[in-house]
Amino acid sequence: MSTHDATRRTFLVRAAASAGAVAGAGLAPDAEARTAGQQEAAHAPAATQARATDSRHGAFFNHDQAAAVAALTERLMPGAPGTPGARDAGVLNYIDLALAGAYADLQDFYRRGLAQLDAYCRTTYKEPFARLDAPRQDRVIAALEDGSAAGFAWPTAQEFFTTIRTHTIEGMFADPIYGGNRDFAGWRLVGFPGAQAVFTSSDLQNRQAFTRAPIVGLQLQARNRS
Amino acid sequence: MATEKTDVVIVGMGAVGGILAAELGKVGLKVIGLERGPRLTTADFTPHDELRYFQRQDLRPSTRRQPVTWRPNANAPATPLPVLNYGNQAGGGTVHYGAVSWRFHEDDFRVRSQTMERYGARAIPDDSSVVDWPLTYADVEPYYDRAEYELGVSGKAGNIQGRQIEGGNPFEAPRRREYPLPPLAADQSGVLFDAGARKLGYHPFSTPRAILSRPYQGRPACTYCGFCQAFGCHIGAKSSILVTKLPEADATGNFKLVSGAMCSRVNSDASGRVTGVAYYGPDGSDNTIEAELVVLAPFIYDNTRLLLLSRTAKFPNGLANSSGQVGRHVMAHISPRVFATFDDRFVNIYMGPSAQKHSLDDFNADNFDHSGLPFIRGAQISVTPADLEAGPIGAAMSMTPPPGVPRWGAAYRDFLAKYFARHAALVAQTENLPYADQTIDLDPDVRDQWGLPAPRLTYDWRRPNEVARIEFLHGTLLELARAMGATSAWPAPLGPGAPGAHHEGGTRMGSDPATSVVNRYGQSWDIPNLFIVGSSTFPTMSGFNPTLTIQALAYMTADAIVNRYRKNPGPLV
Repeated sequence: MSTHDATRRTFLVRAAASAGAVAGAGLAPDAEARTAGQQEAAHAPAATQARATDSRHGAFFNHDQAAAVAALTERLMPGAPGTPGARDAGVLNYIDLALAGAYADLQDFYRRGLAQLDAYCRTTYKEPFARLDAPRQDRVIAALEDGSAAGFAWPTAQEFFTTIRTHTIEGMFADPIYGGNRDFAGWRLVGFPGAQAVFTSSDLQNRQAFTRAPIVGLQLQARNRS
Repeated sequence: MATEKTDVVIVGMGAVGGILAAELGKVGLKVIGLERGPRLTTADFTPHDELRYFQRQDLRPSTRRQPVTWRPNANAPATPLPVLNYGNQAGGGTVHYGAVSWRFHEDDFRVRSQTMERYGARAIPDDSSVVDWPLTYADVEPYYDRAEYELGVSGKAGNIQGRQIEGGNPFEAPRRREYPLPPLAADQSGVLFDAGARKLGYHPFSTPRAILSRPYQGRPACTYCGFCQAFGCHIGAKSSILVTKLPEADATGNFKLVSGAMCSRVNSDASGRVTGVAYYGPDGSDNTIEAELVVLAPFIYDNTRLLLLSRTAKFPNGLANSSGQVGRHVMAHISPRVFATFDDRFVNIYMGPSAQKHSLDDFNADNFDHSGLPFIRGAQISVTPADLEAGPIGAAMSMTPPPGVPRWGAAYRDFLAKYFARHAALVAQTENLPYADQTIDLDPDVRDQWGLPAPRLTYDWRRPNEVARIEFLHGTLLELARAMGATSAWPAPLGPGAPGAHHEGGTRMGSDPATSVVNRYGQSWDIPNLFIVGSSTFPTMSGFNPTLTIQALAYMTADAIVNRYRKNPGPLV
């Protein structure tokens, strides 16, 4: 089974890397691109690293879908100066890769959900979601959450909200090998040190924030195996 | 199509199967163990990955390929359960469980008698099927002791042969000796919980867990990494069946584990004995094993499902079902929960074994006076991360924000950012009563990847006795959170009536063949060479996690087979 797992992860990384090469859009999970300088990068402010990768997509989403998902997830988990959000963490990249892989059975769910979202926004505000201002985007999300957004059949507005919220959380906090949580943006946001090998008895009783750098678990292993 | 012959075939290589394989193999019986999942190794559990193991449930059955459906009542449509909390690999649920290892109380084995003696018969809800077990705590105690020492459980005794021991659970039933290993180290949540509980006059203690606090039997001690519930242990410090009993079974030279093997039927003949099993191999092949003795040891759904799927002209209602009780009296724990946050300190609750870190037993079983209360039986209470698993995905998915904070947007982000490392949860695990109309049967519409009808649960915990107990417990949990010094505390919303964790029932044991499926040894009343072992045989469930009791019963059954049944293969009772 360990052979199988190694193969699976190698495949995951290679598939992502080659898809990136074909699309020319840098689709590989960040881990693949990281160097020995990553510890410093992990502590750099998120905002300085965000721009270059805003529009990462291409494994599943088309451009308009990607714009909508990027905007929607950023409103669900917004960034602010010094505070990483969904865009900084690469949540779009996470969802895009997941839909091309582990969540392939949700492709039609997203396709239809996004089409219904687009129709709702154009009917209500004459613009697609990504081009609405933040207060209007928030009103749309509230209408998804409470189910009042008109025109949703399948998925329902609430199903769509719940799923994309869940995937935003995953993209914020999953190991960066999956394409989100870029530079541990999500882990830094909440103060989670990743999979540490050991917590000592003084760690266990320390009432302060725990600040040891996150362990780069999956990324290192994937790189060593590929 | 292959046919093999053996002495014993065991279906399911989890908490029960591994123990029986080792015990029966040791006395020279040839044993084949069927496991529908893979056989992993400790090396497979590195690195820890919350998305894969917690969120995507990699060590658990696939809800799509192995669906289990649920409906609240017989008139409602059944839909697939979104989460399946049992194992799908050799070692079963013990690979990924939180390893909480309780002995039941003395009165957990005699709920009907205890309730009638203390409160009168009218205290027992009319529609419940509360009964006494066909055995007592004293009958099981030697096997609890054996399980604790053979597997490796860390804890502090509260009662050794009737003598109260400081630091342990004062409500525990008498044990013959101390735990084999001292308690696991407390983390901050445990220290806070102990202080708060004592302030209120309660009796907190470190929860007994099958996790090594010190090296034991060649395995290393826990490193408190925190990736515990939902994860396989990357150093083998969790005393799972995978790293304890399966190697022991291998060493007998009499055991063969077949992985990827889905048992589809228990075969029987016209004389009324079982003759073996049929199973699908990983390649889709249809195989047969002929055996003198068949032991069913999967999760509870598959006991009922297999018995119903194995009906014949001689057993038209399914095997072992002359009583009509197969599939009935299903129980599950429900866990009312309170979230607590601390503005003045960090808690860092992601450190250390994650499930039920410290506990109190003051409100469990009949440990407190229910006079004047509208319910019987209680709940075990513990401190734990938001979702028993302590990573940020689990916390975000489980920890509903307090009233006034939305579930998304800047305010939600700030809530998570501030409180992920400053939260704890208080959980009560309730002893829900058995009810005959809470059932498992075969879903007429949904099939699994092998084409077998999915198990269908008909279950709704929202009975008056259960609802009243939860209202009471919410008050207790909020009081505890405040005593711990929480800045704010709020209850998690309760889900629909679906069953929670630790399912029990479906093939209940009893002392009367007319009203039970198996006897105290898990032996079918109808078919003496068929044994069913596991929590499906529990007549009542206790507020405690079932695994150690399942394992003790497995030792008891192994003992009965080795020392009595082998010499005289017939009814043991």
